[in-house]
Amino acid sequence: MIRNRNVLLVLRVIVGGVFIWAGILKILDPLEFTQGIANYRVFPQFISFSLALVLPWLEVICGFFIIAGIFRKASAFLVSCLLAGFLVLVFSAILRGLDIDCGCFGSLSRKADYKLILIDSLLLLFTLNIFFSRKTART
Amino acid sequence: MNLKKIVQHSALIIVLGSIIGLLSNLGLIKRYFRGEFRHAFISKEEYPSITFISLEEAEELFSKGETLFIDSRDKKDFREGHILGAVNIPFVQHKEKGLDLHFVPRQKTLVVYCDGSECQSSVALSKVLHKKGFAPIKVFFGGWKEWQKKRLPVERGDDSK
Repeated sequence: MIRNRNVLLVLRVIVGGVFIWAGILKILDPLEFTQGIANYRVFPQFISFSLALVLPWLEVICGFFIIAGIFRKASAFLVSCLLAGFLVLVFSAILRGLDIDCGCFGSLSRKADYKLILIDSLLLLFTLNIFFSRKTART
Repeated sequence: MNLKKIVQHSALIIVLGSIIGLLSNLGLIKRYFRGEFRHAFISKEEYPSITFISLEEAEELFSKGETLFIDSRDKKDFREGHILGAVNIPFVQHKEKGLDLHFVPRQKTLVVYCDGSECQSSVALSKVLHKKGFAPIKVFFGGWKEWQKKRLPVERGDDSK
C-alpha cells in the first residue's frame, strides 16, 4: 500500500482525471452510451437507458471529489464499485464471445477485451489505495 | 472514518448524480417514453435516413425487388443460410474502415438485417452506411430469425457480389 502523500496525490489525479474525462464524453452523447450498455445484453432496455443518464454524472462528481479531497472515502468507494462492475461486465462479454465496444469513453471507446480488464484492474488498485489511505494524503 | 459515514456520503453522491443526470436529460426521457428508441438508441436528428421495419414491410420490399438486402452477420452464419439475394457485409466493430462497400448501389433502398432483435450489428452497420451517404436505409429488426420462421425465400452459400 502506498502511503507517500505525493504519490497518493498523483493517484488521485489519475483516477479522478480518467473518471471526469470518461464521464464528460458520455454526457455529451447519452444515446451512444445507452447503446454501449445495451450491447452487453445484460440489462433490460429501460435499465440501460437509466444507467446511461445517471452513471456519467456520478463519474464526473466522484472524479472531481477524489481530486479535490471532498468525501474522498465515499467517492473512492463508489468508483471502486463502478470499476468492479465494469470488470464483471467486460469479463462476461469476453466469455460470451461478444465483440463489442466497452462503452467506457463514449464515441472514443475501445474494444472490451483483456487489455481493458488490465487497465480497469490497475485503476481499481489505485482507487482502493486511495480508499484505504489516511487523511494525511490531503494536499 | 466509520462505515456509516461512508454509506451516507455515498448515498448523497448517488442522489446528487441521479438528480443532475435526470434533470439534464428531460428531453431525452420524454422521447424515450414516446417510444422513439424502441428498437435502438439512435437519434432521428443524427440519422434521419435510418428507419426500422417489421417483417411484413421487409416482405413487401422483397417482393417489389427494388431493394438490396444486406446481411451483417459473420460469413459462417451467412453461408449457412440467408435471405434470397442478400449480400454479406460482416460487421466487426473497430474494423469499420476496412468495410468493402464499393458494390453497394446508391440508387437502391437498403434493408439491413442480422440475427434478430438481440443483435446490434445491423444498427451499427446502418450507422456506418448512413455516414458514407447511403440512403434510405431500413433496419429489419426481426432479422434472420423472423424471416426463417415464416419460411420466406432463403438460400445457402456465399453471395455473388
